[in-house]
Amino acid sequence: MSDPVDTPQVSDLPLEDLVACHECDLLMRKPELAHGEKALCPRCGYEMYAHRYNVVERSLALVIAALLLYIPANFLPIMQLNLLGQSSEDTVWSGVVALFNTGMQGVAVVVFLCSMGIPLLKLLCQLAVLLSIRWNVGRNYGLLLYRIYHHLRDWGMLEVYLMGVLVAIVKLADMAALSVGLGLACFVSLLMVQVLLEVVMSPHQIWQALSGEDEHAGD
Amino acid sequence: MRAIDAGILICTECHELNRQDPDTDEQTCTRCGALVHARRPNSLMRTWALLITAAILYIPANLLPIMTVNSLGQGAPSTIMAGVIELVQHGMFPIAAVVFIASILVPTFKLVGIALLLFSVQRHQPLSARQRIIMYRFIEFIGRWSMLDIFVIAILVAVVNFGRLASIEANLGAVAFASVVILTMLAAVTFDPRLIWDNTESDDDHD
Repeated sequence: MSDPVDTPQVSDLPLEDLVACHECDLLMRKPELAHGEKALCPRCGYEMYAHRYNVVERSLALVIAALLLYIPANFLPIMQLNLLGQSSEDTVWSGVVALFNTGMQGVAVVVFLCSMGIPLLKLLCQLAVLLSIRWNVGRNYGLLLYRIYHHLRDWGMLEVYLMGVLVAIVKLADMAALSVGLGLACFVSLLMVQVLLEVVMSPHQIWQALSGEDEHAGD
Repeated sequence: MRAIDAGILICTECHELNRQDPDTDEQTCTRCGALVHARRPNSLMRTWALLITAAILYIPANLLPIMTVNSLGQGAPSTIMAGVIELVQHGMFPIAAVVFIASILVPTFKLVGIALLLFSVQRHQPLSARQRIIMYRFIEFIGRWSMLDIFVIAILVAVVNFGRLASIEANLGAVAFASVVILTMLAAVTFDPRLIWDNTESDDDHD
């Protein structure tokens, strides 16, 4: 926790010594964080930033793992359904295609973006940002991509999709013989890696490293 | 003290502090280059516009069928509520509760909640800032979960595909419902939470 600044000279302090909560605009003196600590806003309780170990290397490992899981998660069958001798398979991609073919192009595009397009774009942005920090190239593009990543964040909905799979399984279980496929395991792994990545890749340290304020903020 | 009172602007994208430049209307962040504003411009008006559009679409989203189950030549269109009732009739209460919360309670709560937030900020109602911020965070966190029914439809349409024996198709209600979810998510993004703390008594504690 840090103290709100009450002195009248606060606006004269150099900006580097100050921090403001971006959810309630409270201005404070910047606390020094040790590894593993986080700073919370004393007024609204928002987590302003955290300081973690080895951010770049750990995040890079997770991004690569997520990208490797991406193709099997989206194109291997999530479930198979058997009805009176006929069988059919479902993948994330086939759901999009089926919606598109039944004339629901708008909804198909939304499902595609939320379950496949945006999660992939997010991972690619993160990969480019991390490589740009690690190899010290194209930091301006890195800044732009990291901004794009923050705008996309809310729109990737893998966890909601997984809940959708569970609901569909329950709905279908009565009607026909159903078995889950390898795609589901890959999808769950992709989701878990992505959640871990959001925790590890502390934005404050990434911004500092990207902008060159502190080259080793992400170490 | 608020950053705005000290003439300091926070970048909404990278959270860098910038000293306000009085000579320009379009100041950009010194670190990431995004436009910085003390408060998001026209935040309340834009949020109202998105919210009202969502409220209008909320009606067809709930009244029109979201999907039709075709079985042996007979089609049975079903609305969101009918889907929940069907799950209850089959005795699947936990899943019925999840669908009911995600598809009916959450969108309704979001429409009412964002309207309350806007109203309370505009009228400087003595509704406590802490209540408002809890509501805002809840709305922001929960919004995405309403997409659940849309994903369920996508999966069902793909997997129940046995020609005349059994098939499922999506209907117009799904379009309206997806629009409601997207519009309310956009409304939550457009709303500037810093407005919650302006003009509140709790400011006095820190001034």
